[in-house]
Amino acid sequence: MILIDYKSRKPIYEQIIDNVKELIVSGVLERDEQLPSVRQLAQELAINPNTIQKAYAELERQGVIYSLKGRGSFVGSSLNELRSVQQAALLEEVAQLSGVLCQLAVEQETVCAVVREAYQTQREAKNHD
Amino acid sequence: MIEVKGLSKKFDQIQALQQVSTQIQKGSIFGLIGSNGAGKSTFLRLLAGIYRPDSGEIFIDGQPVYENEALKQKIFYISDDQFYFPNSNMEEMARYYATIYQQFSFDKFEKLTQLFRLDKKRKLNTFSKGMQKQAHIILALSCQPDYLLCDETFDGLDPVMRQAVKRLLAEAVLDQQLTPVIASHNLRELEDICDHIGLLHQGGVIFERELDHLQSNIHKVQCAFTAPKQRQDFADLDIVTMEQQGNLSILVVRGDSQRTEACMKAMQPLYYELLPLTLEEIFITEMEVLGYDIQQLIY
Repeated sequence: MILIDYKSRKPIYEQIIDNVKELIVSGVLERDEQLPSVRQLAQELAINPNTIQKAYAELERQGVIYSLKGRGSFVGSSLNELRSVQQAALLEEVAQLSGVLCQLAVEQETVCAVVREAYQTQREAKNHD
Repeated sequence: MIEVKGLSKKFDQIQALQQVSTQIQKGSIFGLIGSNGAGKSTFLRLLAGIYRPDSGEIFIDGQPVYENEALKQKIFYISDDQFYFPNSNMEEMARYYATIYQQFSFDKFEKLTQLFRLDKKRKLNTFSKGMQKQAHIILALSCQPDYLLCDETFDGLDPVMRQAVKRLLAEAVLDQQLTPVIASHNLRELEDICDHIGLLHQGGVIFERELDHLQSNIHKVQCAFTAPKQRQDFADLDIVTMEQQGNLSILVVRGDSQRTEACMKAMQPLYYELLPLTLEEIFITEMEVLGYDIQQLIY
């Protein structure tokens, strides 16, 4: 379930944290669902169990997951928080891209039109489902 | 736990190790990296109790290791050139190791030879180099040591076997609190499996740190300004190296990402990008700082 990009510059520890968060935000992992155990992940990914333990501990500290003694780790109730963090990060990206587009002398109206259209298409596709 | 204090070792005129002090926690996977001739193998042989230190001390689980038979039960050293008796096969070597290591598990030995699909009755000298390494990894894990010292053991294994060995190590770390110490030049691989890294250079430890800590505290920054910048323009940053290509500056900066990012934003660059460093880049950068860089090797 969790994928590691061995070629990425991002440390594995951070990759695990971000990956779990993404899975929660996108709805793949639901609230109170059990996460793969440290052993499973270490075996599957052939990586250091200590690194996974540390990533899980950090996720727990951030309130993303919780653990039950002897039973494992589970998805916590921080979905809304995670969503808003991701929203803020993505909006920041849109702002930065807009800045670059402005430097490239693209008209404001053109940028807005692209955004509007993409948004509309996505919403229609979602309504179809 | 392995504790090394002020360890020195000299061979005739050659100072192989000088005043090395470090600690390796139990259950962690320790990667030992360093330039050629830095003393990695000497260090491992000292940990294994093969060499007598000239000065300094090595404590493993609180006891000195040299000539300590009981303690050596807990340590297995996979040398770079593995030893086996002439004309022996894996089964004979297993029986030999079983006389030395009391916790030797024939169950495990059987399981692992099947897993690796090695013929335990085939003579070891007819094995390829990679297969001999596999055979020694199997023998080592069957001895069920607490500390596994690997001298470039992964190098020479094919990708499937490397993955298999990494899995076995992960399992042993979880189940038996095994502490592998792995010397290697394959930094890409150490990055996946180690949690602590020690860098040796010319017989001394340059640093010994947690890998995540290491990686989150050094970054490569690429940035461009309207006018070229000098090193002193980045006074707020702890710069390790700096390179200038026209208006583009490439810096290696110490400090966490938030701080570095804040400093960069404040300088209002046309563009900037923060990249984590790979272990290989950290190695090359640290070596450059020590005056061991490629530029000097080329000219």
